[in-house]
Amino acid sequence: MKPQSEMRSKSSREMIRTIGLHAVLVPLAIVWLFPLWMMMVFSTLPENAIFSAQIQWLPGTHFWANFEQLQADTGFLRTLFVSIMVALVYTVLSVFLTSMAGWALARYHFLGKGMVLAIILGTLTLPYFVVVIPQFIMVARDFGLANTWFALIVPPLFNSLGVLFMRQSFSMMPGELFDAARVEGVKEWKIFLFVAMPMARPTIAALCIILFLASWNNYLWPLLINNQPDMMTAPVALGSLIGLTRVSWGGIMTGAVLLTVPMLVVFVLLQRHFVAGIAAGAIK
Amino acid sequence: MAGVTLKNVVKRFGSVQVIHGASLEVEDGEFVVFVGPSGCGKSTLLRIVAGLEDASEGEIEIDGMLVNDVEPADRGIAMVFQSYALYPHMTVEQNLSFGLRMNGNPREDTNRRVQKAAEILRINELMKRRPKQLSGGQRQRVAIGRAIVREPEVFLFDEPLSNLDAELRVQMRVEIARLHSELGTTMIYVTHDQTEAMTLADKIVVLRDGKIEQVGKPLDLYDDPANQFVAGFMGSPKMNFMEASVKSASNGSATVKLVNQGGAMITLPVSDGPAVGDRVTVGVRPEHFRAAGQGDCDIDLNIDVAEHLGSTSYIYANTKSGEQLIVEREESRSEVGLEKLTASIPAQQAFLFDAQGKRLN
Amino acid sequence: MRARNRIAYGFLAPYLLIFAVFWIWPIIYSFYLSFLSTRAVPWTWAPHMNWGRLWIDPAFWNALRNTLVILFIQVPVMIALATLLAVLLNSQLLKARGIMRFAFFAPVVVGEVAYAAVFRLMFNADFGVINKILTGVGLPAVSWFSNPTAAMALIIMAVTWRWVGYNAIIILAGLQSIPDDVYEAATLDKVSKTKQFFFITLPLLRPIILVCVVLSVIGTMQLFAEPFLITNRGGPGGATETLGLFLYRQGFTVLNFGYASAVAYTIAGLAIIISLINFWLGRDPK
Repeated sequence: MKPQSEMRSKSSREMIRTIGLHAVLVPLAIVWLFPLWMMMVFSTLPENAIFSAQIQWLPGTHFWANFEQLQADTGFLRTLFVSIMVALVYTVLSVFLTSMAGWALARYHFLGKGMVLAIILGTLTLPYFVVVIPQFIMVARDFGLANTWFALIVPPLFNSLGVLFMRQSFSMMPGELFDAARVEGVKEWKIFLFVAMPMARPTIAALCIILFLASWNNYLWPLLINNQPDMMTAPVALGSLIGLTRVSWGGIMTGAVLLTVPMLVVFVLLQRHFVAGIAAGAIK
Repeated sequence: MAGVTLKNVVKRFGSVQVIHGASLEVEDGEFVVFVGPSGCGKSTLLRIVAGLEDASEGEIEIDGMLVNDVEPADRGIAMVFQSYALYPHMTVEQNLSFGLRMNGNPREDTNRRVQKAAEILRINELMKRRPKQLSGGQRQRVAIGRAIVREPEVFLFDEPLSNLDAELRVQMRVEIARLHSELGTTMIYVTHDQTEAMTLADKIVVLRDGKIEQVGKPLDLYDDPANQFVAGFMGSPKMNFMEASVKSASNGSATVKLVNQGGAMITLPVSDGPAVGDRVTVGVRPEHFRAAGQGDCDIDLNIDVAEHLGSTSYIYANTKSGEQLIVEREESRSEVGLEKLTASIPAQQAFLFDAQGKRLN
Repeated sequence: MRARNRIAYGFLAPYLLIFAVFWIWPIIYSFYLSFLSTRAVPWTWAPHMNWGRLWIDPAFWNALRNTLVILFIQVPVMIALATLLAVLLNSQLLKARGIMRFAFFAPVVVGEVAYAAVFRLMFNADFGVINKILTGVGLPAVSWFSNPTAAMALIIMAVTWRWVGYNAIIILAGLQSIPDDVYEAATLDKVSKTKQFFFITLPLLRPIILVCVVLSVIGTMQLFAEPFLITNRGGPGGATETLGLFLYRQGFTVLNFGYASAVAYTIAGLAIIISLINFWLGRDPK
């Protein structure tokens, strides 16, 4: 047994450590939250307040007026609709494509399996720039499909991280479960759909979030392939305003808020799945 | 109802051969147990019968029909897995009916079969629960129920009790025996536990390293093992093996010297005459040792540990040169705390094996 | 498992089709394109033209230099900060853990356009809140968009703000996979917290930090939206033009696909070389 003085020093050491920890983290956290806070503030201020000599720390009441300005500049509601539709359809299609491929790679032996895996893994870290030019030439010129839903949704479906993510999830399930279904005469596609997929629900949730977010925030490809106002996505429409000289910055900020806040809400509600999805993306 | 026949079944995974030409006849309605140490190929052989693995060579017949190219579902079999393999996202009822539902079986018939299985296994109250909410024994019942629902010709069990604790294992063993007598269906059962094999089987198949070592009724294997491996594997506690060398051999008998017993000699009847000087092994089951002077060869032992179980006691003892032996004795309260023991080997109940483990008597 | 070629390819087919058309074929095709003269239709075979031009094009070298400057400053700073954040956020002593994690992880969900717009407004030289704060505490205002060094610093700060949480999440996951009893054993051995960090935590985290570095290198090599939007197309006067932006200009403003493809393969080659050097430096000591 230690003397009492030393025991007290243990708790006081812990106190010092706690204070030090928060002395570092709290200011950093404020700095990190600052841009998001300013985004909210700017979106609710009239133009002259944004560009006044005083710092505006607190939100105003101009959000709706700013949004009307944004809508007049770009037809933002239409671009939001395009973004939502694209992200939804892309997520559903991609989850099914990558799950099916991940299932095949996890649970069957077949000719050429090693090669398929090697190609997927080998090209995983290639920069997107290597493919964006041919993709553009193919979709815009050869297929003549610029400014279509197809152009926004289908080419980005090549994403192979989802395949590896699902493959890992399926290969960690006990094989006897699928054998049990096989002995019962359940067809392979039904085993996939009614046994494997329901069991992979947490993984699928994480994958859905990551895919939806990637599509929602995708900028370069939609910028290149869809430039007609009625087929623009919201980030592209908003980006097109940023370089202009006579533009409503309050309007741009409402757009930024509309793009960001729903994702923040999803993040807060589904943080666990988010974190799982991001961590899995890095651990191969 | 159907029998199962294996003819020269060989299985290779890549270049590794795990089953070396297994041939076997399972009669209609018989309870057959595949037993052997882990890695002996018993589960692989069962999965070949199920159709979950393809045989590399050889033929599998169920009910007289060649089934090598028949899908698992069409072989008339049902299987109970070691991990139970219950679908975690379905209730007990959904687990039981899943296969039938997926194959478009009429609803009334499905309900009838599920109901019947639930009654046989007494799991009616559990129907709405998920596997997570069940105890190990209950999961085991559901897994068996899922097999019953299929009304199969042949039941296959892959180490079904190995995940249960000792008490439940005994209880479920009795249940499975009852099930077999109620349904009268052919059952093939894989286990590494020789007690399960002895208590359940009509016929035991002992496997080692992908080869069938011996097939026979439980007590026949016990009384008349074909070789040293089977002799050592069947029976608990295990048979004692003592190193020996042949001193003289004549027609029908051989005298051997127990190398580690200070040169004690014993004469055993043999059918296959060993040569003088051969290294051999003498096998004696723990319960066959007799009191000093009442057998044909006395050996002196130092007692290591004695387990007193009330009716019998097991004496773990060393010979002078350190060979470990187990002696089973009728319990005697006066022997508690004893340090030395002289036991005697009866020649009629001792086994003799050659250096390759082949039985000589 | 039985071999089941038909079934397996049935499951794989839809994905493989997309993967082949929109990933494998473009990889091959852009390599081929880099050997074509694409400045006029019809395109002609000119194996040395684009690759030769890379060597002597000052605009390319400028973009390469800018990219490497960002890479060598931003990646180490960000990874060090992410490791620190992960360790601090993992501390048992932390209060208000949820808000703290939200502060650093939230930027991960913010799109490039949205945060570019906010940063542009915040760092506005005349009316931006940052300069107001700087002058408010007696420092000189900074011309964030017309001073080349300041513009570069702005890009580095913006990228770090956006991505440090992403890396912290990955490293935090790695931290949490280290079993507690390792630390308990060290504590019983009277190893101080600081020493535990350097001699237990860091070595165990090395593989995961390496992955973060490689992902960040690949990401930085492709930096495009930030200089495109925040510093207004790589301004001032090309001071923040990156390889990604240079490729965008060549490919989609000038429509010189062949030259842009050569740039793309240069980016890929550099990313691979730098990643391999990282793996070599961070390899397991024998």
